[in-house]
Amino acid sequence: MTTPTMDASTERHLRDKYAIVGVGETTYTRGSGRTTRALGTWAIKNAMEDAGMGPGDIDGMLSYSNNDSTPSPMLAGDLGIRLNFYMDVYGGGSSTEALIGIAIGVIEAGMCNTVAIFRSMNGYSQVRIGGTGARAAAPVSGDALHARTYGWMSAGQNFSQSFMRHMYDYGTTPEQLAMVKVIHSEHASNNPKAYYKQRYTVDDVVNSRFIVKPLHLLDCCVETDNATAIIVTRADRAYDWRHTPARILSVVGRCCKPRIDMHYQHGPISTVAGHYAKDILWPNAGVGPTDVDVTGSYDAFTFTTMLQLEDYGFCKKGEGGDYVSSGAMRLGGERPNNTSGGHLCEGYTHGMNMVIENVRQLRGDVDDYCPQGPDGKRQHTFDYNEGKCRQVNDVGITANLGWAMPGTGSAMVMRKG
Amino acid sequence: MSETTEVPKPIPEPDDESRPFWEGTLEGKLLLMKCSDCGEFRIPSRQHCDNCLSDNYTWAESSGRGVVRSLGVMHQKYHPAFEPEIPYTLAMVELEEGPRMPTNIVELNGREVQVGMPVEVTWERHEDVAVPKFRPR
Ligand SMILES: [Zn+2]
Repeated sequence: MTTPTMDASTERHLRDKYAIVGVGETTYTRGSGRTTRALGTWAIKNAMEDAGMGPGDIDGMLSYSNNDSTPSPMLAGDLGIRLNFYMDVYGGGSSTEALIGIAIGVIEAGMCNTVAIFRSMNGYSQVRIGGTGARAAAPVSGDALHARTYGWMSAGQNFSQSFMRHMYDYGTTPEQLAMVKVIHSEHASNNPKAYYKQRYTVDDVVNSRFIVKPLHLLDCCVETDNATAIIVTRADRAYDWRHTPARILSVVGRCCKPRIDMHYQHGPISTVAGHYAKDILWPNAGVGPTDVDVTGSYDAFTFTTMLQLEDYGFCKKGEGGDYVSSGAMRLGGERPNNTSGGHLCEGYTHGMNMVIENVRQLRGDVDDYCPQGPDGKRQHTFDYNEGKCRQVNDVGITANLGWAMPGTGSAMVMRKG
Repeated sequence: MSETTEVPKPIPEPDDESRPFWEGTLEGKLLLMKCSDCGEFRIPSRQHCDNCLSDNYTWAESSGRGVVRSLGVMHQKYHPAFEPEIPYTLAMVELEEGPRMPTNIVELNGREVQVGMPVEVTWERHEDVAVPKFRPR
């Protein structure tokens, strides 16, 4: 499954030279009652405290939004941070890993030393991705002629083409996909932060109403209000802070299929951008899918997780349905996926919470229901029953698979520092 | 909901690039852009052929026949104008000339749309444009 160009004996590019040293989030809510400015400073402050950093330790900031957030300099000012660099970019899913790569680039260029990346969004109470908010009122022009004219407007509708074609090409079943929700809900039941902590069954999922066939209501992620933050710095500075760093082996940012407009005009519809991204991700990381202990796969829908795991090579093309329903991605399985519950259960962050979770997995310090020792660290029991542990034993390497749409994706491999 | 609060469907507003296409719809012609240099067809409106990068093209009539490459069936209320049609089918139709066209499959008479289903164009008339949709053939 590994690519022929891979050579783990050779350092490529900036492999292992950067690390994530701090992570933080707000609570996951519906109806935060706060501005994205207040949510953002809350999450960044938590990430700074997590790292043991003060305002003088951060001099760069990056964020992404769909024009539904507050710019970096406002948040930096509120936190006493003077910036040597900032940039606020447009985008949602697939931005997390892409911005981590940009942070590495600007630090490498000598533009700043340490970058805080944040995503702050009132995703439920202000701008709903799948709902009838501002987007439903946009004018019909340009390529919208080929979409809105046909009542074709939401992410679920767009992606349904890839999902349905996968079922047709490979015989993938709704019950197999339902297992993604089942497993992520098991993980969420061991996560005190998760918005939905309830465990679901396959029957619950396939008997929930259709949103856009083949997507049932429970195949779709939760919509929440929250902010999340990640702090990136050079590996040689990464040991000055509180936790074992998560060292970055490789990143891919917004890698695309040949033509992503007008709903998959070219190429196999059931193939996603990971098919191309994998040829950057694994050779640069010097590892392959079989070396990965924990995955974090963007689960806007149950299907997005399956398509990505498949196209990144965690199973053969067409066998994604078997992979996600085999139990391999369950806590205690061969390679657990989205151990926080992900977008389907923990909260919707446009990709941030899956990276945050993997950083904590690599530290061996996931915030579950296990008792805390005198040093503040949890004493993990590895009992994965409801309301217990969600730490994976001895995590060495993680992979994050980010998603914007079937045609665009991002990814990152990290190792325990 | 009273008559006065009914929301109209989003009707295309032709611009200079797409006007020939929409004028064709009123005559029941499904027009594609055809590259004058390599012969590749494309759906409007793109200035360049993505096969040979030429910007020379003519408007050529499609047979109006194609096959469903993939689909989704919309059950959720989203845009109010489409609520009466729920559940409606969103499909990617691959035309005989090659391009894939996002559209709706209509006139099903109880049939379920399948990947691979042969379809042909049919027109939803509005005041100054007709919207190409497809039906089983
Ligand atoms: Zn051409």
